[in-house]
Amino acid sequence: MTFLEIHDIKKTYPTGEEALKGVDLAMSEQEVVALLGLSGSGKSTLLRCINRLVEPSAGKIMFDGVEITAIQDRRQLRNMRQRMGMIFQEFNLVNRLTVLENVLAGCLGYTPTWRCFLRAFRRDDIERAIQTCDRVGLVDHIRKRADQLSGGQRQRVGIARALMQRPKILLVDEPTSSLDPKIGREVMDLMSRLAAEEHIPMLVSVHDLGLAQAYTSRIIGLQGGVKVLDSKTSDVDADILENVYHIASAA
Amino acid sequence: MAEIAQNYSSHGNPLRERRVLTKRYCRYALAATLLSAMAYHIFVVETDWARMGGIGDILSTTAEFLPNLAFFPVIVAPLFETLLIAFWGTALASVIAMPVAYLAARNVTPYFPITYPLGRTIIVLSRSVHELIFALIFVSALGLGPLPGIIALGCRSIGFLAKTTSEAIENVDRRPIEAMEATGTNPVSVFLFGIFPQIYPIVVGNVIFQLDINLRRASILGMVGAGGIGYVFSEQMQAYNWNNAGTVVLGIAIMVIVGEFISNRVRTRLISGVGGDRIGAE
Repeated sequence: MTFLEIHDIKKTYPTGEEALKGVDLAMSEQEVVALLGLSGSGKSTLLRCINRLVEPSAGKIMFDGVEITAIQDRRQLRNMRQRMGMIFQEFNLVNRLTVLENVLAGCLGYTPTWRCFLRAFRRDDIERAIQTCDRVGLVDHIRKRADQLSGGQRQRVGIARALMQRPKILLVDEPTSSLDPKIGREVMDLMSRLAAEEHIPMLVSVHDLGLAQAYTSRIIGLQGGVKVLDSKTSDVDADILENVYHIASAA
Repeated sequence: MAEIAQNYSSHGNPLRERRVLTKRYCRYALAATLLSAMAYHIFVVETDWARMGGIGDILSTTAEFLPNLAFFPVIVAPLFETLLIAFWGTALASVIAMPVAYLAARNVTPYFPITYPLGRTIIVLSRSVHELIFALIFVSALGLGPLPGIIALGCRSIGFLAKTTSEAIENVDRRPIEAMEATGTNPVSVFLFGIFPQIYPIVVGNVIFQLDINLRRASILGMVGAGGIGYVFSEQMQAYNWNNAGTVVLGIAIMVIVGEFISNRVRTRLISGVGGDRIGAE
């Protein structure tokens, strides 16, 4: 069953840069899909069009039966965003807040503003945040400030924050690009394991072919804002990939 | 290089051409005329040199301001009142300045064409009106006493605090804001949880700085009836009790110096704490 359906999505930035030139994509509720491409191929823009951090210029996105691109009301848009977790290349934590507070940011979407003002989170949210920290292996660090952690630990906070949302999908933007390869693998392992446990589909943008092959069931190749590959990871043989990369590197 | 040198010699020295020189000397002449006209007006026309007497007269009159320490106990309570006016005025301004800063920061203002100019206008109004004028207005409206002084200082301080805070907001790290927007957080909560923690040390530093300045401002508000030590000063001046007036000046100086010493220490500690020890951060 199609869970996320992207139809002919285009994005032209005010600078005139055409980041996406009409991309189609469909994924089911159980899939882990890689968005593969070099820098500037439109991966990040595509991910941000799904939760409309970037407004698409044209096209249609359906998610869980809702036409996301048709939502006008800001409140409705925020409700929709609550159901999509996002993990970022540069972790995007508030450095001066503690690990626990950064994780609790994941439930701000449904927390009233006065609770946010007083930092008076609901008891069950706090308990769940501590549990989530435990699941990502940071339970001993919850009182530390985010900027006292190592890169790998910081990305774990990012993962915990996304899981706090109880998301129906995870949009993951270059999760390992700010990390060294060994730590990057650990983060990918953890993220894939947790997503599988919770049955959350993932759309992961990567530029590393090895990671895409190791962790995803389908690979979508982007190049210059155009989809150039869409097939099961097991069907993707070295020649096709070589071809994609050849085209990609020629661009 | 050779070509440039050749061009240079064929054009002569472009800085000493006749036209350039004429223009420059005309400017000097204009500046000299203006300066002497201003000096003549203030020092010759408007100053009554005859009434001043000799150097000795000037010095002996000034010496009459030497503090009378016996008067000191009288000014302790008004000095304390001055401190409280400065404190509450700053507190009032800090609370009001936050939403104003939110309006006046380009990156978060809710509706740019209306709310941004609104925020900027409040800042400019607050900064361009003198605290004594605010005090006169509120003394008229509310009567004598410290309350109009507090409100006057509040109005005068909103501008500085809102301006520096809005600049801090404009310089925050965008990335955690993006992450919070992605979780469906409303803009006010994003401000409270994503922006405020980033600007907090800057805001607190500026509030303390403003408190320091307001201590000085509060000490003259009494001259127009808005409470504090200034009333004692003008009272003693009008009664020609120069020594007592000198005591008031001494008291204000002590209070301001102590205040500055404390606020400097607190601010230095705060600023050195910015960023913390960044272990393992990129």
